[in-house]
Amino acid sequence: MVSLAEPRVSDGSDDEIRARLARADSALAEEIRKSETLARVTQAVASSGDVDACVQAVIDGARDIIGADYGAFFYNVVAEDGESYTLYRLSGAPPEAFSNFPMPRKTEVFAPTFDGVGVVRSDDITKDPRYGRNAPRRGMPEGHLPVRSYLAIPVTSPRGAVLGGLFFGHAEPGRFTARDEALLVGLGAQVAVTIESIRVNAAALSELDQRRRAEERLKFALDSGRMGSWDLDVATRAYEASDLCKANYGRRADESFTFADLIATIHPEDRPRIMGAIESAIRDGADYDVEYRVILPTGELRWLHARGRAAQTADDGGARRLAGVSLDITERKRAEDRQKLLVNELNHRVKNSLATVQSIAAQTLRSITSPEFFREAFESRLIALSHTHDLLTRESWEGASLREVVDGELRAMAAEDRVTFDYASDLRLNPKAAVALGMGIHELATNAVKYGAWSVPGGEVIVAWRQDGDLLRLSWTERGGPPVNNPTRRGFGARLLERGLAAELSGGVELTYDPTGLVCHMALPRRALEP
Amino acid sequence: MKTLSSLKVLVVEDEALVSMLVEDMLTDLGCTVVGPAAEIEEALRLAGAEDIDAALLDVNLGGRPIFPVADALRARGVPYAFASGYGEAGISEDHRGSAVLQKPFREADLRRVLEGLVAQTA
Repeated sequence: MVSLAEPRVSDGSDDEIRARLARADSALAEEIRKSETLARVTQAVASSGDVDACVQAVIDGARDIIGADYGAFFYNVVAEDGESYTLYRLSGAPPEAFSNFPMPRKTEVFAPTFDGVGVVRSDDITKDPRYGRNAPRRGMPEGHLPVRSYLAIPVTSPRGAVLGGLFFGHAEPGRFTARDEALLVGLGAQVAVTIESIRVNAAALSELDQRRRAEERLKFALDSGRMGSWDLDVATRAYEASDLCKANYGRRADESFTFADLIATIHPEDRPRIMGAIESAIRDGADYDVEYRVILPTGELRWLHARGRAAQTADDGGARRLAGVSLDITERKRAEDRQKLLVNELNHRVKNSLATVQSIAAQTLRSITSPEFFREAFESRLIALSHTHDLLTRESWEGASLREVVDGELRAMAAEDRVTFDYASDLRLNPKAAVALGMGIHELATNAVKYGAWSVPGGEVIVAWRQDGDLLRLSWTERGGPPVNNPTRRGFGARLLERGLAAELSGGVELTYDPTGLVCHMALPRRALEP
Repeated sequence: MKTLSSLKVLVVEDEALVSMLVEDMLTDLGCTVVGPAAEIEEALRLAGAEDIDAALLDVNLGGRPIFPVADALRARGVPYAFASGYGEAGISEDHRGSAVLQKPFREADLRRVLEGLVAQTA
């Protein structure tokens, strides 16, 4: 405390008294100014949101209070990589005044401050026994601000860690009093508490921020993967589901969705398996990885894939939570089913084709008189079948047009120039009808090349069709060929056309061995032909 | 070995070439072919009206399952076997256990299955 001289009226002259009073007034005014400044600084420090602003307020205010030329605060920060740096704030001097100097080292003058040992106050630091004892500079470096009066206060955290130091200087000696020292020690303690609380706060905020970001990233990942997340409290069976998780079960975000609701939504056939998986994940810590059907409140059936893991072991060694994600896999399941169906269908078709080939081989062998003709007849029938398959494959086995089927077979015989078509409109055929008619046309064309209209120059074939109510009437008429005789025995072609094709397409097929040329009439119900 | 001679066999098959093959096989085995029917309606008519000892049924008739025909035959006590490109997998739940010929099959396979059917009724 500064002791104010008690004015004694009875002692001395009036001038003396007036002088004393003036000094007392001035001292009081100075003390009031310091108090006000201190109050202002204290408030600024307490309300500081960041270390730099706090420090700047302190050194500016403190310099003002003690009338220092310069003030500085050197403080340590630990960066994220664990490295420690010393930063500083200045008051009363431009940053350039220090920017050319290295950071202060722990010289004998600085050590008590940086080690948090105690205050160093000197009326003239250059005369202090500790001054100038350290190599290489032995005192202030060239160009340093002129400092004689010196006051340095360590700033240590309540837990004893040194946060930094407050340094003040004046170009003239004897400027800093014990009273100044006391004020600044108090201020230093306040700075320490503020810095500490700002750091703790910042760390908490940063952790909070990191968590929030991590949560945002997770939510983004879950949302973009259409993944719902869920969390089951093992003891209470309290179940928390994200909005997407609820959506997977056909619930709106604002609807409640309990563990009982979840179990009830699972398809009854899958329920025992899923409850077993949940129990075993909780009991044994087994991975929870299940696919199951759910029946939504709308009645819609969906497939879900859920994965999870028991977490946070309880004191008794059991699991406390089971948490994980769920994903709507209905589309994938449907695609799998479609694929299974397609593979089955393909297998069926292949097996049927093999049976067809088996039949062609057996029939060809039966109706061929000499074995040397077998190969040619068998191969040409196989290729006829293959042509129709090509046509159908081009249209994903959905059908083919009648004209295309006929063209395909005639092209194989190089007979497309010797045929006249007569029809009003083309007709779509289902795959079965396409294959059957393809084989029939092949037999007719083969016969025409061997014995009929195409066996001699000038002969021709007219292929005509028209729609007659529910029937398709198709005719194959040969002209200009050699005279035709009724055959003594029916070959494979005749049997296929008159019996096989007729039965398969639920219609009638009639072969007429007209002397002017073979005629084949077909009357086929359109329902057996159209896709 | 039981004789298959003069056994009347209903054939239901919607593919001309395959039904021709089956007809030939059955004829070779000495059987009499009833049909062949290529449509469910025709097959049902034959199954109800004709004198039949056994039946060979294609599982899929132009996209329609054959099972109503199988049911009609079962009701009459006529033994039947399925012929299918799907094999066992194409058979509906309540017809599992019936004899199934996987297409393509040999004459000997057909003979074995028919003998099994005849033994059922004997």
